[in-house]
Amino acid sequence: MENTAEAPTGPRRTSEHLDTEEQRAFRLKARDYMAGRLPPRIPGEPANAFEQVELVEKDRQIQRLLWDGGLAGITVPRDYGGLGLDKRFEDIFHEEAEPYRLAWHFGNAFNIVLPVLLAHGTEAQKKKYIPGMLSGAQMWCQLLSEPSGGSDLAGLLTRAEKRGDGWVLNGSKVWTSGGHVSDMGLCLARTDPTVRKHAGLTMFLVNMHAPGMTINPIRLVRGGSDFCQEFLDDVAVPDEDRVGEVNDGWTVAQTQLNAERAGMAKGWHAGLRPAAVAEHLTLPQSYVKLARQLGRANDPAARELVGEAFVIDAVYNLTGRRIAAGTRNGRLPPTAGMVSSLLVARTDARRTALLSALAGPAGVARPAGSVGREIGMERVTTHRIGGGTLEMQLNLVSERHLGLPREPGFDRDVPFNQIRTNAAKG
Amino acid sequence: MDVTLDEDQLMLQDMTRRFLEDRSPIGALRKLADSGSSLDRGIWREASELGWVALFVPEANGGIAESAQGVIDAAIVAEELGRVVFSGPFLSSCVVADAIARAGSEAQRDGWLPGLASGDTLAAWCFAGTEAKGGAEAGGVTLTTDGGGFVLDGLAGYVEEAEAADLLLVTARGESGVGQFLLPAGFPGITVEPLEAIDLGRRLAHVRFAGVRVGPEALLGAVDGAEQQVERQLQVALALQCAETVGVIDRAFEFTLEWVNQRYAFGRPIGSFQALKHRLADHAAQLEGAKAAAAHAARSVQTGAPDAAIAVSVAKSHCGRFATEIIRDCVQMHGGIGVTWEHDIHFYLRRAVSNEALWGSPAAHHERLCRLAGL
Repeated sequence: MENTAEAPTGPRRTSEHLDTEEQRAFRLKARDYMAGRLPPRIPGEPANAFEQVELVEKDRQIQRLLWDGGLAGITVPRDYGGLGLDKRFEDIFHEEAEPYRLAWHFGNAFNIVLPVLLAHGTEAQKKKYIPGMLSGAQMWCQLLSEPSGGSDLAGLLTRAEKRGDGWVLNGSKVWTSGGHVSDMGLCLARTDPTVRKHAGLTMFLVNMHAPGMTINPIRLVRGGSDFCQEFLDDVAVPDEDRVGEVNDGWTVAQTQLNAERAGMAKGWHAGLRPAAVAEHLTLPQSYVKLARQLGRANDPAARELVGEAFVIDAVYNLTGRRIAAGTRNGRLPPTAGMVSSLLVARTDARRTALLSALAGPAGVARPAGSVGREIGMERVTTHRIGGGTLEMQLNLVSERHLGLPREPGFDRDVPFNQIRTNAAKG
Repeated sequence: MDVTLDEDQLMLQDMTRRFLEDRSPIGALRKLADSGSSLDRGIWREASELGWVALFVPEANGGIAESAQGVIDAAIVAEELGRVVFSGPFLSSCVVADAIARAGSEAQRDGWLPGLASGDTLAAWCFAGTEAKGGAEAGGVTLTTDGGGFVLDGLAGYVEEAEAADLLLVTARGESGVGQFLLPAGFPGITVEPLEAIDLGRRLAHVRFAGVRVGPEALLGAVDGAEQQVERQLQVALALQCAETVGVIDRAFEFTLEWVNQRYAFGRPIGSFQALKHRLADHAAQLEGAKAAAAHAARSVQTGAPDAAIAVSVAKSHCGRFATEIIRDCVQMHGGIGVTWEHDIHFYLRRAVSNEALWGSPAAHHERLCRLAGL
């Protein structure tokens, strides 16, 4: 996701004046500890780029530093290695951590796996796995989508069969962020194909280093990729690594998907920078410069495109702010967050259209060795597939936010093994 | 609606909505349109008693400005007016009242503001010329000095309620800048040329100035020094127009959702078809954007924020474009009934298309944003 907002100006705003004595002590401890220990935020350094192995390694070390300094897992119960404090302390931590890079590659662990384990994990699972993620020792991924489909998650084909005391998993997962650098994965698999599709799923914690697990990076349009495809060939999973009841995996998956959406809404994937939304609107000078570089500053057609680009960026920022404020104070329903992410998708795509039209041929070829914005390639690569396709977002907004009726399905109340799927024939 | 309104403002919204439901629902516009009659001045006086225009008028002149948040409160009213496609000179009266309250001499304030606040006086805002790309910029009327007085010539275009107005605020361009004048209706040399407007709740006219000689007492503010007050008027006008547009979309979208939920085709509610509901989801997203942009515009104009000029053009571009786009598609989803005179939706679409074009089209505001960005 592109953030075209201008850099915020003026002094950093904190809520320091609201601190209790205990909060103030925590703030100072965090401030003192991080100063000089944590690496700074570097402009342009990606928050998440799993293909950059050294950046992933850097994040492991950052998380280890926070763990050593008693600043990891702020709201996580003490029994599981956390600090057991309330959310206010987490906000204080993030205010103080603003100048530094945090372990953004642990987003899956903290925003997705952690809430799932806290809600559905056994006591043994929480004690075994949570300290490992808080200390930076174990990186996590989620194994959800499959080559046969991603939007229809409950129609997945990967099988988990009971053998002796444990389970054996077979199948393939895909679009796994950071699969190749992860130690553990949260994996949804089918345990009973003879019941309707949602009722035959179970959630597992899978060792990514286990025998039978093959992990291949996916090459995307631009060449690199955050994503992997996994092949599971008789991967053994002990029964103590099953999360929730057998065949109740859909319940666990709901927690997982909601947690993922909440994490996205917080902006973790982009390095948590709510402060970047300035109070007043500004018109990005990058567009002005671009129009001048292209020699189109006085071309009415170009000015029309630049003007609209100003508008869509401003409306995007204002809407995000409105929905954040409105869902916080209860004037808007929680589902309004889905509207926000739909608007992001539409705005991102529209921006690529405007800039491509502005740049003309200069957007599709340039002198060798040039750096900077690849306007034509943004037009090629800007799509809303990951994190829920555009179509799924449209369904979410229309059904959950607007309350419109669901489309009838062919797979309701039918045993999974009688539904037509994309499974290989024969 | 702005999600940060306080309790008093929510009460204002509720009061306004209930008044309109009772005294001037959408059916009132239909009656007005069917009878071919013009503005209902009785309703306008009743509405004025609720303190609509008075939001901009100081207490000393019969208003409540000191205890109100002018543009933000007026935007709350405007949004409600949009929901019933209200027929009355709210936008222009607010703009003119605010202009006189800020820049008027004592005589002008005492002379005009009490009547504007009570609804006895109607005001028209003669701001721009008639050229297609105009509307977002003052023009149309020229100003020359003549001894101690001035002569106005030219055509102010697409002026709301100019025919019914008792008072005109005229913007004129001279060699060295812009001046503004307050003139009573029927002033010698002024002719009002009524237009046939597509918005049946809003009467528009061109106002022609042929050698109109005015004395210095008619000046509002300084001669050649009115640029800032003119910009302020445009900002107030746009903030309120966008708020009204939001109300128009919001209500049309509401009854379209009800319709697609209850209308059956092929054995299911038509709202269950992705062909419709995906479009409605997109409309919901752009409507949320319109609400965010309009609320920010009102707030930044009211507080005189440094981004006020940007905020109103952003809001106008977005609200203007998407009001038309969304409501056109709502008509489509209604099918045949949506294109009949009997269904109310055409009143909404007329107001939306009209608001998109008046006071600067989205394209005109894109150009204005480029200038504001230094391009």
